Amino acid sequence: MLIALMIWVAIIVFSLTLGTFLCFRIEKHGVKRWGATGSLFRYEPKREE
Amino acid sequence: MLYLIVLGFYMCFIVWTSIKSLKQAESMTDFTTGGHRMGLLLGIGTTTATWVSVASVMGVPGYLYSNGVSAIIGWVAGWFLATALIPLVAYKIRRPETPARTFPEYIHHRFEPFRKVSHLRTIVGTLMFIGYFLFVHLQVVGFGIVFATITGIDYQFAIFAFLIFLLFTSIGGFWSVAATDTLNTILIVVGVILGGGAVLAATGGWQNIIDTISTTTSPTIVGGEAIPEGSMITPVGTFGLGALFAIFISNSLGATVSPHWVTRMLAPKNIKVAVLQIMGSILILTAIFIPLIIMGLGAKTLIPSLPAGKTTDYIIPVIVQEYAPPLVGAMTLVALCAAAVSSANSMLLHCATSLYYDVYLNIFPKKKINEKKFNMNLRIGMFVIAIFAVVSAITPPWFLAMGFTYVYGGFGAVFFLVVVLGLYWKRMNRAGAYVSMLTGFFTYILAQVIGLTNPFLIAVSASLVGVLLVVFFTKKPPVEAYEPYFKADVSESTKQTIKDIQNKTDNNITSVNSKDTRKNA
Repeated sequence: MLIALMIWVAIIVFSLTLGTFLCFRIEKHGVKRWGATGSLFRYEPKREE
Repeated sequence: MLYLIVLGFYMCFIVWTSIKSLKQAESMTDFTTGGHRMGLLLGIGTTTATWVSVASVMGVPGYLYSNGVSAIIGWVAGWFLATALIPLVAYKIRRPETPARTFPEYIHHRFEPFRKVSHLRTIVGTLMFIGYFLFVHLQVVGFGIVFATITGIDYQFAIFAFLIFLLFTSIGGFWSVAATDTLNTILIVVGVILGGGAVLAATGGWQNIIDTISTTTSPTIVGGEAIPEGSMITPVGTFGLGALFAIFISNSLGATVSPHWVTRMLAPKNIKVAVLQIMGSILILTAIFIPLIIMGLGAKTLIPSLPAGKTTDYIIPVIVQEYAPPLVGAMTLVALCAAAVSSANSMLLHCATSLYYDVYLNIFPKKKINEKKFNMNLRIGMFVIAIFAVVSAITPPWFLAMGFTYVYGGFGAVFFLVVVLGLYWKRMNRAGAYVSMLTGFFTYILAQVIGLTNPFLIAVSASLVGVLLVVFFTKKPPVEAYEPYFKADVSESTKQTIKDIQNKTDNNITSVNSKDTRKNA
């Protein structure tokens, strides 16, 4: 039981880590069209930008 | 009676949102991918609702009931891993300034950019049609079980009620699907949490559930074979390690590259929204699956064996009717209907788009049609396909969750390498794409027919060998084919190539009365 739940939880943690890493890569590229906003989890550029 | 009233409210809600969205004129790009401008909240709503199908809310609890916690690894963990990996597809496929509008269009551009009639696109469109038809068929089966439970009508007649839901939810195109999906997500979350709470209360708590599944030997169906004591609590269960791994790998890697997920990644306004929408969906899905696991395992405590003549797909409707308070039961059953409707409408859209836009208009590029007619033809196509799907479901051939595993395995066998290598390996070329898809398809079918343990893994391995042999002995792909997926700024010739491919179909579809009525999702 515990093994099955741990596999599931590990995958959830992996998903959130991978997503964060990809957002970081997008910011690093700095391409606004791809979603770079200057903030890791902000998904829309500020209007003045 | 209360069940019927709640279902009636749900039906009114579907009709109202659909008629409202019909007033919004949609361009062809809007109809297929929402014009690449979907925002985060709507994105999370539609992703979650498409994700949660009858296989999740009925099939998985059914396997938890019959096989125990091993179903968490095979299906729940498998699908969550698929979801975790989808951002890797999103990260690349959204790079072009004007992204593809459908999955076959991506294949056309990446592997046959200079071909007016892309045979690869035709093959992909045809295979998608078959796969999504089977998916819709499974949703009809699930809906029929729930609708028959609520109304008392025979399953064979209950499935025809699905046509009413499909008619209304599919006619508005992508934005209609997205809007109803988001509200369906709320209904699903509320319904399964209420249902989970009711089952937990009826069983007397989590410890009682664990005690029962640790010791039970009751057969799944009355009069069936007793299950080995303790098998429901072990990670592998009665599947065996090889079979469980095959299910896990088909559900994870196969689902990652399924065309509807690739297309979903084309809808958000940029790459980051696509990634964030998946992260948000994972959190909501966790909240949905915890009560589903409680219901599936808890059912064994409440009903040790199902009556003869019922499959395990019936376990949630049966348990909810018998052990939940009427209003809670009604909400849970409506949640199951919402799961069926929200997945079926999206898959119907893929089914019709692939057949009409990617196969028919690709083969007959000279056909002229205006945008209004295009959308109307798609709607008619969807409804005709829905009728066939309903008729095909009169005699349900599969268990819901296993049906999904077979189709995901098939999609993975055919599309895994053209998606992953196409997006991450510049050298992947047209010959490699043909070999990968055809080898994957035929090996998967052969492995299934022979009855090998892991058809998906065998098919992908065979494809990989074929691709590596072919790619290095054939010409490199032209720069126009891979440049947009690897660079932020592309050459003029690449821009022109993308324009030519998209214009090719756009020339068939002339814009009439098309206006962008929504500026933002």
